[in-house]
Amino acid sequence: MSEEYDFEAIIVGAGPAGCAAALVLARAGVEVAVLERGQYPGAKNVSGAAIYGPVLHNLVPNYWEDKESFERHLTTKKITMMSEARTMTIDIDLRDFNQTPYNGITVLRPKFDRWLSEKAEEAGAMILPDTMVEDFVWKDKQIVGIKSGEEELRAKLVIIAEGANRILTEKAKLAKHPHAHHYAVAMKETYELPKKQIEERFHITGTEGIGNEILGHSRGVPGGGFFYTNENTLSFGLILNAKSLADKKLKATDVLEDFKNHSYIRKLLKDAKMIEYSAHMIPEGGFKNLSKLYGNGVIVVGDAAGMALNAGLYIEGINFALESGRVAGEAAKKILESNNYTKKSTKIYKNELKKSFAYQDLKTFKRAAKFLENERIFAHYPELINGLFYRLLKNDGKPREKITRAAIKHILSRAKLLGAIKDVIGGLNSL
Amino acid sequence: MSDTKKVMTIEEKLDLTKFTSDHNYAHITIDPAICKAKCTTHDCVYCCPTDCYKFIEGEDAEGPVSYDYIACLECGVCRIVCPHGSVDWNNPKGGFGVEFKQS
Repeated sequence: MSEEYDFEAIIVGAGPAGCAAALVLARAGVEVAVLERGQYPGAKNVSGAAIYGPVLHNLVPNYWEDKESFERHLTTKKITMMSEARTMTIDIDLRDFNQTPYNGITVLRPKFDRWLSEKAEEAGAMILPDTMVEDFVWKDKQIVGIKSGEEELRAKLVIIAEGANRILTEKAKLAKHPHAHHYAVAMKETYELPKKQIEERFHITGTEGIGNEILGHSRGVPGGGFFYTNENTLSFGLILNAKSLADKKLKATDVLEDFKNHSYIRKLLKDAKMIEYSAHMIPEGGFKNLSKLYGNGVIVVGDAAGMALNAGLYIEGINFALESGRVAGEAAKKILESNNYTKKSTKIYKNELKKSFAYQDLKTFKRAAKFLENERIFAHYPELINGLFYRLLKNDGKPREKITRAAIKHILSRAKLLGAIKDVIGGLNSL
Repeated sequence: MSDTKKVMTIEEKLDLTKFTSDHNYAHITIDPAICKAKCTTHDCVYCCPTDCYKFIEGEDAEGPVSYDYIACLECGVCRIVCPHGSVDWNNPKGGFGVEFKQS
């Protein structure tokens, strides 16, 4: 390209995907700018949020030596089935996860995103907050820059990292207007609780932490609750499929209040003071909801590309963002070296991404999104399993049944057998 | 633990969230004519996490729902759920809108 340019690469969005790409490029000496519409990186972002330690370590070696980078490392995972008056929790305590680089860490996005952007800045990237990218500059069907207000900035390569609400990706003709059933609305409440109380309540010390996924009691709407401990705050929220809310005519805010009033949740949040309410959208269409990953002069990373997954036990957003951003940075180096920005060249990114765990996981669980749209899993089975334990544990002065017999009778009386068999097979195939 | 159920209103919750409101530019606009002519399901009302969309009472109303872009957390779900393309959603101008601190 003989034209003049302002930066070799422009990245739109300073979330984990954009910052990861910027970090890799800046380290290689590429002139890169990251344009962020928020007041600072992370100001518009919301997550549960757990990050895989090894993924972050791969990007920022020994990240844990920097106390700013994370809140707690995860040693306990709880999975809870919740129905009206009953809960059942699987409590998995893995103290082997006490070793660095840590299996998982919890973060708060306004802090984490800013920390990561500072790493990119230290490496030589330019971070420009308060900067809203509205459109692209095109030349002969190739993107050659961006428009922000009256200004135009030119670049050899544009990396779209705009997040889940992929307006620019649509303008770049790399995605169509999405389907509502591929998206969930996530509502989050952050609570303050003294460090000492958090440690006593959840039996943790130092930077140990817990994560809890909660299924059921969402009035039949596919989704689930999440709960994470931070240093001196608690992250709690509920994720609900958008299409299902609309179809059932249930208000998201009502379902959240109902969920929160369950005694299990009230115990988790006891005496804690809410300090912030936030919300975000989650792409959960998996492999089928992926955008085109490259075009002339442009590549797409993170949530904007639909690089997110809900496969029950595995709920991925930031990890895929960090990984696709890192891969995009590596690919962009090669694209810049080739000095060719047509699709033929930008395809390098897709080829490289196909080798990454993020893309492989999306493929492995490509049927999961459809399977987890099934309302029986969220409405019926938590009720069923809690009902079974009620039946087994209740003392009513009558002789006990054999456990297996009681279980079979309970399941046959409550579940629609054909549906249940279908769900077991569906689950085995997709998860 | 007390058994009294205490529900915080959405207004009380939003008081905890920081906004830099742009009173000169609405980043969301809806077309009441489209809503009135085509919409029977009002998906926006159910999906919005801050109840920005509300039913308007009365026959004379311009459209079936009202909206308030100032209290928007910028999730974008209304843009996606509206099946009629009535919601015109753009990001707020740089530096404006919600500013999360602990999310």
